[in-house]
Amino acid sequence: MTDVRIFGYCDPLAARAGKPIDFMVSVEGTKEVEAQIVRLVHGDENPEGPGFVEEEVETDVPGVLTVRRQYTQLGSFASVDDGDGRLAAPGAFTLHAFFYATTPGKRRQTLLGSWSVNSSKGYGLGVNPDGHLEFWVGDGETVDHVTAEVALVPKVWHFVAATYDPATGAARLHQIGVVNRWNSHIGPVVPFDHDSHVSETLRVRPAVAGASFLIAGSHENNPTRGDFVSMIFNGKIDRCGLYDRVLERAEIEAMATGSVPDAGILAYWDTAQGYTDRGIGDVIVDTGPHGMNATGHNRPIRAMTGWNWRGREDSFRLDPTQYGGIAFHDDALIDCEWEPTVTWTPPEDIRSGVYALRLRAGGAEDHVPVIIRPAAPRARIAILMSTFTYLAYANEHLAFEAHTAQAITAHTPVLVPEDIEFKKLEEFGLSTYDHHSDGAGVCYSSWRRPIINMRPKYRMPGMTFPWALPADLSLIWWMDQSGYDYELLSDHDLHREGVEALRPYKAVINCTHPEYYSEEMMDATEDYLTGGGRLLYIGGNGYYWVTSLCDGDPACIEVRKLDVGSRAWQAEAGEGYLASTGERSGLWRSRGRAPQKIVGLGFTTEGMDESQPFERMPDSFHKRAAWIFEGIGETELIGDFGLAQGGAAGIELDRYELALGTPPHTLLVAASHGHSDNYPLVSEEITYAFPGRGGTQDPQVRGDMIYFTTPNNGAVFAAGSIAWSQALPCHGGDNSVGQIMRNVLDAFTRDGPLPGAAFVGEEKHWR
Amino acid sequence: MPETTARTSERPDKKLHKVGRRHHDYRLKPDGPAEWSRVRVPFTRRHWLKWRGVYNPRNLARERILADKMPLWWTLGLGGLVVVTPFLPNPMINVAAIFCMFAAINVLWTLIIGTAGIFSLATLAVVGMAGYAAAAANVYLGLPWPLMFLVGPLVGFAIGGILALPSTRLDGLYYALLTMGVAEICRIFVTQLRALAPMNGSINKVGSFIPEDWFLQREGLLLGFAGAFLLLLAALLVFRLVNSERLGLLLRAAKMSREDEAFSEACGIDFRRARLYVFLISSAALGVCGAFYAMYYRSISPSVFSLDQLLLLFAMMVIGGLGRSEGAVLGAAIVIVIDKGLIELGPLRIILIAAIMLLVTVFAHEGLTGARQQFRNFRNRKKGERRALRTEKGGEVMPEEATEIADKQEIYYRRFNKRLRDELKTFITPELIEEHRQAPLGRHSDTLERVLNFFRRGDMPDKYAILRVDGAWDRFRIMALSGERGAPPRVVDDKEYASLSEAYHAVFLLRVNDLLES
Repeated sequence: MTDVRIFGYCDPLAARAGKPIDFMVSVEGTKEVEAQIVRLVHGDENPEGPGFVEEEVETDVPGVLTVRRQYTQLGSFASVDDGDGRLAAPGAFTLHAFFYATTPGKRRQTLLGSWSVNSSKGYGLGVNPDGHLEFWVGDGETVDHVTAEVALVPKVWHFVAATYDPATGAARLHQIGVVNRWNSHIGPVVPFDHDSHVSETLRVRPAVAGASFLIAGSHENNPTRGDFVSMIFNGKIDRCGLYDRVLERAEIEAMATGSVPDAGILAYWDTAQGYTDRGIGDVIVDTGPHGMNATGHNRPIRAMTGWNWRGREDSFRLDPTQYGGIAFHDDALIDCEWEPTVTWTPPEDIRSGVYALRLRAGGAEDHVPVIIRPAAPRARIAILMSTFTYLAYANEHLAFEAHTAQAITAHTPVLVPEDIEFKKLEEFGLSTYDHHSDGAGVCYSSWRRPIINMRPKYRMPGMTFPWALPADLSLIWWMDQSGYDYELLSDHDLHREGVEALRPYKAVINCTHPEYYSEEMMDATEDYLTGGGRLLYIGGNGYYWVTSLCDGDPACIEVRKLDVGSRAWQAEAGEGYLASTGERSGLWRSRGRAPQKIVGLGFTTEGMDESQPFERMPDSFHKRAAWIFEGIGETELIGDFGLAQGGAAGIELDRYELALGTPPHTLLVAASHGHSDNYPLVSEEITYAFPGRGGTQDPQVRGDMIYFTTPNNGAVFAAGSIAWSQALPCHGGDNSVGQIMRNVLDAFTRDGPLPGAAFVGEEKHWR
Repeated sequence: MPETTARTSERPDKKLHKVGRRHHDYRLKPDGPAEWSRVRVPFTRRHWLKWRGVYNPRNLARERILADKMPLWWTLGLGGLVVVTPFLPNPMINVAAIFCMFAAINVLWTLIIGTAGIFSLATLAVVGMAGYAAAAANVYLGLPWPLMFLVGPLVGFAIGGILALPSTRLDGLYYALLTMGVAEICRIFVTQLRALAPMNGSINKVGSFIPEDWFLQREGLLLGFAGAFLLLLAALLVFRLVNSERLGLLLRAAKMSREDEAFSEACGIDFRRARLYVFLISSAALGVCGAFYAMYYRSISPSVFSLDQLLLLFAMMVIGGLGRSEGAVLGAAIVIVIDKGLIELGPLRIILIAAIMLLVTVFAHEGLTGARQQFRNFRNRKKGERRALRTEKGGEVMPEEATEIADKQEIYYRRFNKRLRDELKTFITPELIEEHRQAPLGRHSDTLERVLNFFRRGDMPDKYAILRVDGAWDRFRIMALSGERGAPPRVVDDKEYASLSEAYHAVFLLRVNDLLES
């Protein structure tokens, strides 16, 4: 590897011509980088395709940028708005919290406190490196502490109260287990005695830390990096607060059962406050007299079960008071919060496309991509870029961490040196396919951070071919090559504007993998189709996960993997509802909206060892659809080539299924055959498990190509395969897959009735 | 599985033994809801006893165990001495007092040898010179006896300072010889002093905390013992304060990187200075012992510098165990009881001490106080040897091994994978390997698919991956993943493959090799 490391991201990822785009860049090893805006045309370097293609664009972005190293705060915590410094030196006080530790003993972690690591000043309540609860104070010289007798049992709800009186130095630490039949990892049958009450006289009086009160973190400073937060807690914290007096033992025991004494409240963060039917925000409300609300950083996860969860109410919408849990993770990352290095405002007349800020220095190169939609729609075709999917897979660790990954993909991961560098750094957060360091699934992903696998040449290590954005560029290259006039839209545009975003276009094309969909996007697609819109769904496993955008933060998606489906993780019981919308997450089909109901196809299998061609089915000879196959031989294999494992049908495949809502008049015009057993039937299709659900034995393992019409001359052409678009660039773009695309696009972009629309009479056969 | 039973019967040492054991020590059963008030040693943040609350993983019961039982043994040992001594006959009280004195000297010497790591044999020289100076000040200058406790440490400090100078320059053995030389020079110096010649180099009639008319009486002996006991306690306190506080911690940190003292210096540990401080503190404390010595006997003679005294002291250290205070005290007890308590044995007792010393050095690496740890190490070694015989790597888990595996499902996985591997091994044929070589990806025969599925499902650590060297399309290498976030993969070998298919096949061959070797 070179000594220069370049990382960057932009905001917004989904931009519009004429509106500014901020590029945030961090560079190690040099002070200056060459910068050039390019339009990305093709990403995959596979020698069977056109290779990497970019066009340099004349802009006002300086050719050389002055850069520096920018640092990233990892981990989620909440900081308290304590403008009056009430919590800095509260005199005699009691700290209390309900909490659920997931990694006690990993290292020192803070629950609550005003603690400065460097100066050893302040006070804190947390978990010590041995996994014991500890209350500590420091005067800048020495640190004194009182420690609970027994180590915390992981993933069990506890109540803790620490009282301290600076007049006498007397400190008491109360740890009370509050495990019930529902709330914890283990139940009441396990003979743990979780309780510990320790009293001790401390020799040290806390000095004022001079840093704000934090929930789940402590302040630290590094000479080069500056101030940051460390000692981040892994686990959940429920209702917590401070009293300005020493609470009696009886009061503390009452608190462990949920009561809250009134006298002397300094702060009481009622973590269950603020829920509506539509979710909850980032502010943790202080219902005490001073209203010192806490604000989450890197998005502590709300809508999590609390200490008093009883299971009957499996959503916060049924009883918010049982959902006071807030999950904190030491490796959460939503926003790098880097300073913009350069801002580019693409001119209003710029061609819509995938652009990138190309940065080069000392042999290192990085592309920071941005998707630019037109200032006003003009073309007849829109390509809908799957920005939700890009975020869902952002910086995935599957090949490195998921021991099942090789079994799923059927081959050994192929890495490049930059993968290794990136994973060594471990600075830019996780994808919704990963787990936090305590094993909990990752439910948030945002674009405000460098994303290694959203760059043009990148290949997913586990699959050895490009995935998502770099794969979608194959479609862009082919559209350019074939001379179509098109414009780009993003999931984010569709989510924000609904059907209005699609309506100006005669035809809309989905990309390879439109897997993550919000309700707004589902509605908009349906409304577009019922209004006469024409959709080319030429991807695999689309319209799958119930996804949402975080309120007030368009950069961040939320998804909770639930119950069924090809899921990298499984939300804990009661934690399947989205904090950002109040919706039940999981698969859309579990909520009555199987993808078949919108685009006729839905996910049926996945495999990454080899792809197959499509073969025409008898329906392709019906005049209603035969026009799609103009120029294709009767038994010609469609797409027996491709940059994604050598075929147009592969990777992830979708199936026609009347039982799941495929429109009854749908024509099944082609299907793939001959998949290996590495293509198993997906789990949501399996009720009873029995052997032989792989490609060589199960007829449901295939990819389908269908066509159906919708009201007002609308229509859907769907080829349910991720590999479809990656077959387009083969043979110079002039191939059977491209032929079908041209037939469909030419028809879809014409006004008036679709070809074949007239052939609806009853067939009278002599044969 | 018939094959498995057949294999078991082939190896008769594979009998499955019952495991499990009762507690043999008493364990406190704390009551969670009860408040536990923890009391501290005054003026410190320390607790008197190092209690640890644990869940017994076998029944999850809460237990409060003493993580460090040494305070208990000290209290029993020293307390027993205090209780028993007043009832002993006079000579034995004397023995007890001498024991306390030598134990104190030994403890301080341990600081020099163990904590500071300076191999000095001039300990008794420091004691003697301080004793002589204090006695001389009392006898010839008329200094009142309490001030002898001031002269002693001052002289000890001064001599310590002189001895310390070469300590950082000379290597262990040379320094030891040097200090022995110093002791001898002191002896010759004292014996040749004209003023002391009439008394054969001794100073007599030294003032003492023991009144003259009590001297060698029971009261005097008891008072002498009390003084010696306090001296021992003081020496132990010095040891504790030096060894377990800042200086000791610094030196221990430096010792961990002995190979590279420059490294510890670079880390900000001034270990030379720390060693010097320990040496000076110990020497001053030895000076107190010297003054006490002169007062206890009301005289001091050149024999204090003699080689046999030094060797006796050395025997105490060796028998007790070098570097720890309990070793110094236990060694002193054994040697003093034999040397001074069994005086009627005559010269035989020296042979007895030598024999014990010999036995201890032959059988115990760290003296008597290290015997327990040595026994544990021995048991662990035996355990390792037997386990290596009884279990195969990756094979079935034996009952004794199962006690160390928290997730019991792992034990089943071991059994399952072992049997699966045994079955898969029979599938590996040249034809199968050729089938994979021709098409690493895509549809395979059922047999190959079974083998591949097993490989693909393996755990993450050390799982193979392929590196595309410099992003090229014709240079592939094989790596192994770490399975740990942030830890990079390691390179398996430097072979390069010209195509991805070749690399896939090379990984397959490595895995087949791993399978056949398991």
